[in-house]
Amino acid sequence: MRVSFQSLERHVDLSGVTPTQVSELLPMLGLEVDSVTTFGLQPIEHLVVGEIRSFEKHPKADRLSVCQVDTGDGVLRQIVCGAKNFKVNDRVPVALPGAILPGNFEIKSSKLRDVDSHGMLCSATELGLPAGEDGLLILTARAPALGTPIHKLFPSPDVVLEVAVTANRGDCLGLRGVAREIAASLGRPLKPLEARAPSGTTDKPSSKDAFGFVKSSSKTCPYYTLRTLRDVKVGPSPDWMRRDLEAAGLRAVNNVVDITNWVMLQTGQPLHAFDAAKVKGGIEVRSARAGETLTLLDGRVLTLDANTCVIADEARPLVLAGVMGGAESGVATTTTDVILESAWFVPGEVRRVARQYTLATDSSQRFARDVDPAGVDLAARLAADLLIEHAGARVVGPAVVVGKAPRSDRTIKLPNGFVAAKLGTPAPEEHVSAVLRRIGFTVHATNTGLEVTVPSFRSDVDRPIDLVEEYIRIHGTAQVPVGRPLAPLPGEEESPAASFVHEVALRLAGAGFSECYHYSLCDVAEVTRVLDAKSSAQLALQNPLTADQTHLRASLIPGLARALQLNLSVHAEPRQLFEVGAVFRPMADGQVRECLSIGFVVLTEAPRRSWKTREPFDLFSAKRLLTGIATAAGVANTRLTWSDVSSGLWQEGHAATLADRGRAAEGACGILDLRWTRTLDIRGSVIAGEILLPRATFISARKSARFEAFSSFPPVTRDIALVVPTSTGAGDVAERLRQAAAKAVGKEIDVEAVTCFDVFSGEGLAPNTRSLAFEITLRHSTRTLTDTEVTAALDQVAAAAAKAGWTVRR
Amino acid sequence: MQSQLDSALKEAADAAGQIRTRAELEALKARLVGPNGSLTLVMRGMAALSKEERPAAGKMVNAAKAQLDEILATVSARVEQAELAALLGPTIDPSLASPDVASGSLHPLTRTRERILATFRKLGFVIAEGPEVETEWHCFDALNTPADHPARDMQDTFYLPKSFRSIDALRKGDEDLLLRTHTSSVQVRTMLARKPPLRIVAPGRCFRRDAVDATHSANFHQVEGLWVDRHVTLADLRGVLDFFVKETFGPEAETRLRPSFFPFTEPSFEMDIRSPNLGRLSDRWLEVLGCGLVDPKVLEACGLDATEWSGLAFGLGLERIAMLVHGIDDIRHFYANDLRFLRQFA
Repeated sequence: MRVSFQSLERHVDLSGVTPTQVSELLPMLGLEVDSVTTFGLQPIEHLVVGEIRSFEKHPKADRLSVCQVDTGDGVLRQIVCGAKNFKVNDRVPVALPGAILPGNFEIKSSKLRDVDSHGMLCSATELGLPAGEDGLLILTARAPALGTPIHKLFPSPDVVLEVAVTANRGDCLGLRGVAREIAASLGRPLKPLEARAPSGTTDKPSSKDAFGFVKSSSKTCPYYTLRTLRDVKVGPSPDWMRRDLEAAGLRAVNNVVDITNWVMLQTGQPLHAFDAAKVKGGIEVRSARAGETLTLLDGRVLTLDANTCVIADEARPLVLAGVMGGAESGVATTTTDVILESAWFVPGEVRRVARQYTLATDSSQRFARDVDPAGVDLAARLAADLLIEHAGARVVGPAVVVGKAPRSDRTIKLPNGFVAAKLGTPAPEEHVSAVLRRIGFTVHATNTGLEVTVPSFRSDVDRPIDLVEEYIRIHGTAQVPVGRPLAPLPGEEESPAASFVHEVALRLAGAGFSECYHYSLCDVAEVTRVLDAKSSAQLALQNPLTADQTHLRASLIPGLARALQLNLSVHAEPRQLFEVGAVFRPMADGQVRECLSIGFVVLTEAPRRSWKTREPFDLFSAKRLLTGIATAAGVANTRLTWSDVSSGLWQEGHAATLADRGRAAEGACGILDLRWTRTLDIRGSVIAGEILLPRATFISARKSARFEAFSSFPPVTRDIALVVPTSTGAGDVAERLRQAAAKAVGKEIDVEAVTCFDVFSGEGLAPNTRSLAFEITLRHSTRTLTDTEVTAALDQVAAAAAKAGWTVRR
Repeated sequence: MQSQLDSALKEAADAAGQIRTRAELEALKARLVGPNGSLTLVMRGMAALSKEERPAAGKMVNAAKAQLDEILATVSARVEQAELAALLGPTIDPSLASPDVASGSLHPLTRTRERILATFRKLGFVIAEGPEVETEWHCFDALNTPADHPARDMQDTFYLPKSFRSIDALRKGDEDLLLRTHTSSVQVRTMLARKPPLRIVAPGRCFRRDAVDATHSANFHQVEGLWVDRHVTLADLRGVLDFFVKETFGPEAETRLRPSFFPFTEPSFEMDIRSPNLGRLSDRWLEVLGCGLVDPKVLEACGLDATEWSGLAFGLGLERIAMLVHGIDDIRHFYANDLRFLRQFA
C-alpha cells in the first residue's frame, strides 16, 4: 500500500519525525517498506516554464538540437537539447544557469560541441518526478504562464512509502491502521476520527429512500448497509483530496467516487456509490444466476457462475460483490441521487472470486484481508459527511442495515508470567499493560493475570500467544535477549540419507566429477525418453506453469546430458558431471515412488587434445562407480543383479541395468543412446550411470560392520578355462563355479575369489561360443592346503561345468 | 706372483670401462674368478708354495681380491643404473600438466547446505527429511494454513492430479498432493514420528509456481529448523540464530528480528543481518530467514499438548544464503550448470 507521509499526518502528529525515520520504524513493527519515493516537486530556484520558439539541428551533432527558448523575461536563450519529443511553441521546464537539480546537479552556461548553451530543458526524471514519456516534460497542455516556477505546477513535495502488509494485518490497509502503529511506537496519541452523520438503525428502507427493498440472501455478506443521499452535485473534488488520492496512486474521478476512495484510504473500508436512478426496484445481495452477465466499470464483461456473489437490483447484477462496480449503475456526471453502500464480505469468498475472474482491486484486496466490522458504519458516515460538505448532498431517511457485524471486541485472559515465559526474560505485568494500551487494547488487571480486550479492527489477535507478539512488536525485538543454546540431546538419530548424500557427492567430486543441480520439473519428451507413455503420464502435474516444466523428472540423466551439450556449446570443456536428487518412478501397482537418485555422465571423447592419451572411461568404470555408491548406501554388491537394458535412454548391447529386488533399488549404466546424444551435438559416446534408491533404503540407520577373523595360511590358486555360449554371462559362469567350488571344499575352506581373467572368441571356437578363463582362489582357515585336495576340488568344479554344458579346456 | 696379480687387476681395470651390460660383467667375472680365471689360477698356485712363503702370498692375493671386488662393485652399480634407466624410459618433465580429467567440484548449494548443517549439528540439531511430493495436510492444514489461504491457491502451488498416489506421502483423507512449498512439512512429520524433546534441521527442495527470474526459481532449497522442548523461548530462538549468522557470515555480522507473519509461528519474525563483508550488499539490513515460536495450533495438530510443550522454528533459503556468501547476483546460475560457474566453487 502507498502511504503518503502527509496523509499520515492527518491521523498522528509527526512533528520532529522524518519520513526516513518512519521508513525505518515501520519494518520493525512488521510493516515492510518496499520502496520510498517522492511525490510532488521540491521547489527548485531558476527552474521555470519556457517556450521553444524555434529550433534547428546542431551543426556538428545529429542527435542534438539548438533551441531558442523564451522564459518570459524578454530575451531568447539558446539551449542545446538532446530530446526529440517536442515541437515549436511547446512549453517545457527550463533549468537556467544557477539551478540545482536533484542529485546536486548545477546548471551552468557551457558549450556543447562548440555551440553555446545557456541552461537545460528538462525531462520528468531529471526533476525527480515519476518517469513519463521519453524526452522532455511537455507542459503545453497545462498552458502555464512563461516564467512560472515549475514547482507551482506540481503538488507540494511529499514522501510515499510503499508498505507491504502481511496477510494477517488487514487493518493496515488503511492509513489509520498504519498511523496507529506509528503512534504506538512513538508513544503519541492518534488524532480523533469522528463522523457527524447518524449511525444506521433500521432494516427497512423508508418511503423517502430511492429504493424499495434491501435484502441479503448470500452467505458471503452477513452485514450490509445502505444510505440514500439526494441532490448530489457531481463535480471535481477539492484539491487536498485529489492530492491525497494521487499520492496513494489513485486517479481522481469526481467528488462522489473520490470521497468513497478517500475514505477507503483512511479507514481501509471500501465503499460503493450507486446512481440511484439506475437501480430498479431495490437491492439484493445474492448469488449470481449461472450465465448472468455483468459489465464492469473497466468495460470487461463477465459471465457469472452461481458461486459468485453479486449486488443486484430486481432486474440484473450491478456489482461484483466486494470486487468491482458495474458500468451501468455507477455514478456519472448526470447523477443526482446516490445510494452509498458499506458492507462486510467474507474474506475468503472475496479472494476466491477476485482470483476466479483475475480482478485484483483496491476493494477486493481489502475485503480479502478482513476489514473492521466496526468500521463499516464509521466509513459510511465519514463519506456522508464529506458528500454533504463537498457535493451539496442531503441525507434522506435512516441508513438501512441488513444483518449484523460478524465480529466485535473480544477479551483474552493473559495469565501472569505468560509473556515472560515465552520471551525468556522478565516482562512485568504493568509494563505489558502499558504497551498493549498503546495499540488501542483495553487492559484490566486481575489477581491471576490481565484481561485484554482487543478491538474488532484486529482480526488476528485471539490468544495469549498473539498478545506476546503484540507486546514484543511494540516494545521492540531488540529487547529479546540472546539465549545460550543447550547441550546436544544424546541418542538422537540422524537421517542416514543425509550423510549418504554428502558422502556420495564427495566421492564423485573426488573422482573428477562436477556436481550439477537441474530443475525437478521437465517436459513430457524428457520423461518418455526414460519411461513408457503410460508411466510418463502418471508423472504429469495438474497445473504446470510453463510448457517445458509439465512433469516430475524420472531420471537425472537427461538433465546431465543437456548440461554436457550446454557446456560443449560454450566451450567450457565438460568431461564428467554428476547430480544427486529426487526422481519419481511409477510402480506396477500405480503408486509413484520418490527415489534418491545419483546419476553421472562422462564424455568419452576429450573436448581438448592432450600430450598424453589416457585409457577411456568405459561401462566397467561406470559399473565400479555404481557398485561403490550402492555399497555406501548399504546395498551389498552381492545383492545386485545385472542384466541387459531396454530403454530409450541407453544404447542397446552397450549398457546394463542393475537391480536389488529386495529393496527395490534399481539403476543402469553404459553408453547413452547414440542417436539421441548426436541430436545434442555430442561427438563420440557418452557413458552414464544412475542408481535409484527408494526412501526405504534409508529408513533404519546402518549397522556397524562386525569384524571377522581371517586365516593366516597361504592361499592356493588354480585356473580353469571353459568354452561357453556367448549368451551366457561371465558373471553367471563365475557364480556357478564359485558354488561348485564351495560345495567341493566344505566349510573349512574358503573360496576367496573366482575371477575371470581372459575372454576370447574367434579362431578355433564354434560360432556363438567364447572361451572364458577363471582363476579360483582357495584358502584353509587353520592349515596349509595340500595339492591333492586342491586338485580334487578342481576336478569337481570341472565336472560341474561340464554338467552345465560347458566344455572344459585342458 | 705379484706380476700375475697385477696383470689380472690391470685386465679387470681395462675391461671395466668397456662394460655396459650385466652379461659383459658376468663374462669379466668368469675370466678373473671363474674356475679357469686368472685370479683363480694364481690362488691355485699358492698350493705349491712353502709354509713360510704362504702368509705373504696370502696377503698379496687378498689385497688384489679386495681391489678387484671394488672394481666389480663399481661396474655392477653402473650396470644396474643403466638397467633401471632402460626400464623407466626417458626422464620426466614435471612442468607438464596432468593429462587426467580435471578435478571435480561440489555444487555451491551443496557446500552451503553442508556448512549450514555442520553449524546446527554443533548446537545439537540432527538432520531429518521428508518427501518432495507432499500431502496438502502436511504442507498446509497441520501448519495452521486454512483452506482459503492464498498460499494454497493453484496459482502459487504445483498440484498433482487426484489420480496421483505416492507411497512416500500417504493422504490422511481425500486431500490433494502437491509439491511442497516449504520444508516446514518436515516439522509436522518429525513431531508425528518422535516425542519431544527434539531438535532437527531439515534440508530439502521446495517448489513454488513462480515465473523464473533473477530472484525466483521453479524450485529452490530450504533448511528448516525445529526445536521442541519444555519452555523454549524467544531468547533461545535468538541464541540459535545469532550463532548461525555468526558462523556463516562472520563475527562482525549483526542481527535483528523484524516482526512478520507466518501461519505456523506466533510470534513470527524475519531475521535480518548486516555485515561489513558482503561486497555491494555490505552495511545494510538484509533479510536472511523467517522464524518464530511454533504456533500452539501446529503443536496440537501434531498431537502435542501446547501447554506442556513449546517450540521454535525457522526456515532459511539455501540459494539466498549462498548468493550472499558468494556474491552471486542471479538465482538462475544455480540451475544453469555452466561449468564456468560451478568450477568457481570447487
